[in-house]
Amino acid sequence: MRTVVLAQLRTHAARLIASSLAVVIAVGFVVATLVLNETSRSTVLETVGARYVGSAAVVTSSSGESLAGDVATLDALDSVGAVAPTYETGVQVEVPGRGGSQYLSVQSVADAPQLRWEQLSTGRLPRGTGEIAVSDRARAQVGDVLTVSTYDADGEAMTSEITVTGLVDLRGDPEAGLYARGFVPEQTAREWGATHPTELRIAAGPGFESDQVVRDVTAAVTGDVVVRTGEEQAEETAADMMGNATALASVLLVFGTVAVVVAGLVIANTFAVLLAQRTRELALLRCVGATARQVRRSVLGEALVTGLVSSGLGVAAGIGLAALISALVGSNSAIPLSGVAVPFHAVLAGMVVGTLVTVLAALAPARAATRVAPLAALRPVDPAPLRSRPGVLRLVLGLLVAVPGTALLVGGAVMGEVLVALPGGVLSFLGIVLLAQRAVPPVVAAAGRLAGRFGGVPARLAAGNATRNPRRTAATATALLIGVTLTSAFVVGAASTRATAQAGLAAEFPTDVVVEGFSGELPGTLVSTLTGTEGVERSASVLAGTVAGPDGEPVGAFGVDRDEAAATLRSTEDLVLPGPGQASVPEWLAESWALRDGDRLALGGVNPDQEVPVREFTVRVIDADNPLLLDSAELRTLAPDASLGQVWLRLADGDPERQLDAVDRITDVVAEASPDTQVTGLVTVRAEIDEILDALLLVVTGLLAVAVVIALIGVGNTLALSVVERRQENGLLRALGLTRGQLRGLLAWEAVLVAGVASVLGVVVGGSYGLIGAASVLGEVGDIVLDIPWLQVGAIVVVATLAGLLASVLPARRAARTSPVAAIAA
Amino acid sequence: MSVPVMTVPGEPRAAGTTAAVRAAGLRKTYGTGETAVHALAGVDVTFAAGEFTAIMGPSGSGKSTLMHCLAGLDTATAGEVWLGDTPLTSLRDDQLTTLRRKRIGFVFQSFNLLPVLDARENIVLPMQLGGLRPDPTWFDAVIARLGLRERLGHRPHELSGGQQQRVAIARALLPRPDVVFADEPTGNLDSRSGAEVLGLLRSSVKETGQTVVMVTHDPSAAAYADRVVLLADGRLAGDLADPTAESVLDALRGLGA
Repeated sequence: MRTVVLAQLRTHAARLIASSLAVVIAVGFVVATLVLNETSRSTVLETVGARYVGSAAVVTSSSGESLAGDVATLDALDSVGAVAPTYETGVQVEVPGRGGSQYLSVQSVADAPQLRWEQLSTGRLPRGTGEIAVSDRARAQVGDVLTVSTYDADGEAMTSEITVTGLVDLRGDPEAGLYARGFVPEQTAREWGATHPTELRIAAGPGFESDQVVRDVTAAVTGDVVVRTGEEQAEETAADMMGNATALASVLLVFGTVAVVVAGLVIANTFAVLLAQRTRELALLRCVGATARQVRRSVLGEALVTGLVSSGLGVAAGIGLAALISALVGSNSAIPLSGVAVPFHAVLAGMVVGTLVTVLAALAPARAATRVAPLAALRPVDPAPLRSRPGVLRLVLGLLVAVPGTALLVGGAVMGEVLVALPGGVLSFLGIVLLAQRAVPPVVAAAGRLAGRFGGVPARLAAGNATRNPRRTAATATALLIGVTLTSAFVVGAASTRATAQAGLAAEFPTDVVVEGFSGELPGTLVSTLTGTEGVERSASVLAGTVAGPDGEPVGAFGVDRDEAAATLRSTEDLVLPGPGQASVPEWLAESWALRDGDRLALGGVNPDQEVPVREFTVRVIDADNPLLLDSAELRTLAPDASLGQVWLRLADGDPERQLDAVDRITDVVAEASPDTQVTGLVTVRAEIDEILDALLLVVTGLLAVAVVIALIGVGNTLALSVVERRQENGLLRALGLTRGQLRGLLAWEAVLVAGVASVLGVVVGGSYGLIGAASVLGEVGDIVLDIPWLQVGAIVVVATLAGLLASVLPARRAARTSPVAAIAA
Repeated sequence: MSVPVMTVPGEPRAAGTTAAVRAAGLRKTYGTGETAVHALAGVDVTFAAGEFTAIMGPSGSGKSTLMHCLAGLDTATAGEVWLGDTPLTSLRDDQLTTLRRKRIGFVFQSFNLLPVLDARENIVLPMQLGGLRPDPTWFDAVIARLGLRERLGHRPHELSGGQQQRVAIARALLPRPDVVFADEPTGNLDSRSGAEVLGLLRSSVKETGQTVVMVTHDPSAAAYADRVVLLADGRLAGDLADPTAESVLDALRGLGA
């Protein structure tokens, strides 16, 4: 049998490899993920490790105990060469030539040279006080004099000046881009507020091993401290930093699993068709004496070799992809990558997964192959339609799984419980996959009838072909269905999540822009200037004044004109505006005054000279961060000194970029008119969230697109194989008068029907999952806004169908090229 | 048992006056150099309209190749073919294809019908491809003559071999083509169904003046024809009129078959 297997492989090699492209892609994805994860880890380790390279031992305290006292003790040990305590603090610096101040995270530099780890891109490390080295992020030059603002031990603000002596290269550090870093001598760090050292790095004395040092140090220190070798500490720190990245890798592997599952479906389908073609060959083998078991083993042998080869190709492709991504992303991103670190487990995982999937996928077709009766070889060529058995078992199983799954899913959504909805989702999806074989062909038939009405004979023939082999059609469609379902679930789920989040944000931060003064009042002209600024649609003045509460104590209050404010706010759900006679009391204040909705509140003036009468208000308790809110006319009565405290602005709707420009303009206007004023653009918070969600969505969609691409390869494969299977039929059609163009049209219609039906079903099922998923996840958060992004959903259907059409081009051309005679005579 | 005779709307075709299809200097060579195979090595032949002609010869004589070239299914290496007054050799693939819908009918040895279509759809398929609707009276006449009334809604796998061939003949006859080409139409049938099929082909020629050209290796099948053309090694090797099984057998023996 081995000769047979090898001969089959040699002959059909090209077709098998093309068919196993799906496995190559899926394995490549998984391997790339694992390799990138490892590369990232090793890059971070290298960077973090640099810091501890010279340290034989590192002492840290998880409880924040002061390690300063141990320095002298440790220094005295024989095995210890040097001890460097690390002091950390934070200051504000102004860099000459750059406006505004920025945060600088400060670290002390070791005195002992063997414990200095900082790499310099230019200049040198500081030698004494008055000198500092900074990271590139500070955007300073060597020789710059920085103005540093700190708070001393008593809380008093101090400024000092310091000169930059060097720039430190933080390549590979994932946090390098977050904020600027500064490196100063120990004394400077302590002057700037660092109280205790966060760690002690200890270098070994000449001739001593790090084990010895660790032992001696452990014996010498007291208290709740941890002593590790330099390497151990590096790994510990790296693991901390990598926490997020590992989570990301896990998420990516989930997508990898989806890709692998889809690839498995495609392979199963491909093998089924390949074997159906070889019915006569297999029957011949049985005729000449091969047992059923031998036939099955030969098929599995082919699958094994195909799996190994395509997994090997997949592993190579995955490593290549990882190297490409590593080169593109570089070492300065949040997930630093430099070079490629290929762990053995990645290669092993890729090979095992790919081969296992291929062999498993070939199991069912292999079993079907053994059922070919030897007599089939002797019958005249009769490509009987592959009528698959009704598959009652599948139907029952599918229903058994799908129905309770759906119930759980919907129940979870209604209850707002993710833990109920998630297993429900998985179960119902499995059920749908099982039922797909029953559900998809009739839908394709119906769609085909519709297409036949205006597509002519090629369309009707295409519809017939698609329904002739329900198992093959369903398998192809299922692979595409899975990919499209998941993608649409995410697209719709994210849209609803974003809509709900935005609604929640609008309720919590109802003002687009808030202008408030810190010291004293805002000039009255400011309002009209701001209203006239480009991009501003509406404005509302907010008076600020002081009134006397029910306990006689002064309390700050805001006054608004309800109509004016209502027009400016995005939502008054949380920030309920008071009318005359009403007071909107924030929760924190209501608590301290022991007030509830509907209570009466008495407020008076703070200045006894002004003779302000006490007035009563009806209380509305609101969930907001503002001070007490009153109607502005009434506030003025209670607090005659009240002045313009805030201006609320509403921006014109539209492009977030334009809105941010408007905020910049407003900031400029305000800075000119009244310097000590702060402009808070809450519109930026919303824009940021939008950006994050958009980026996330893009990434997720891209990842799921891999599964869709694999499925589309499956569609192309199925078409190609079916073209070969139907050579005679196509030849007959050509003989009877079907032109080449019509034959290409026939195959195009088949592809469009299967891909179109699968994508429509996919977005319907996936969209439902997305809505239900969002409802169950956000249910606890509050009111849910369900949003279906029709444009993107429509795009998914169109793109998937077009891609299916594209997949038919090559097979169709090949079919059309064969001459009618060659096809019939075969 | 009375057999309904096919009546033809319009005037009957005159038999034996014009050539339905003819070939001149037809050559077909596969491969090049030493491995070249000369399937047809210069054939001149004319087939009269309204006649039932059988092309016979031993295996490898080129009879199937000749039929494929005459029918426009294959292109000749050299020579000319005319279908009526239309020269086929200068036509493009699309034009040849259009020709096959209306002016040429086919009956093959096996795999005649599309498995996805039922009998009725298979019969009207060539006309449908050309966007033509069959004349209902003629359709009924053909169906009746071939005894397919009860079978119209059945798929090919629900029909016996003989029934499938009858459906194929109905399809071939429906557009009233210039020529019906039959390639070993009884090869897969038992003797009774085979005789039935040959009888139907013959009666279509006699009753409606249809031209039929049949390739066969079976002398008793050839006996149903009006004329037998013999091929050997890619060349014409004989021409018999009013053949009988015995005369055909003798002629074949003469070829050294």
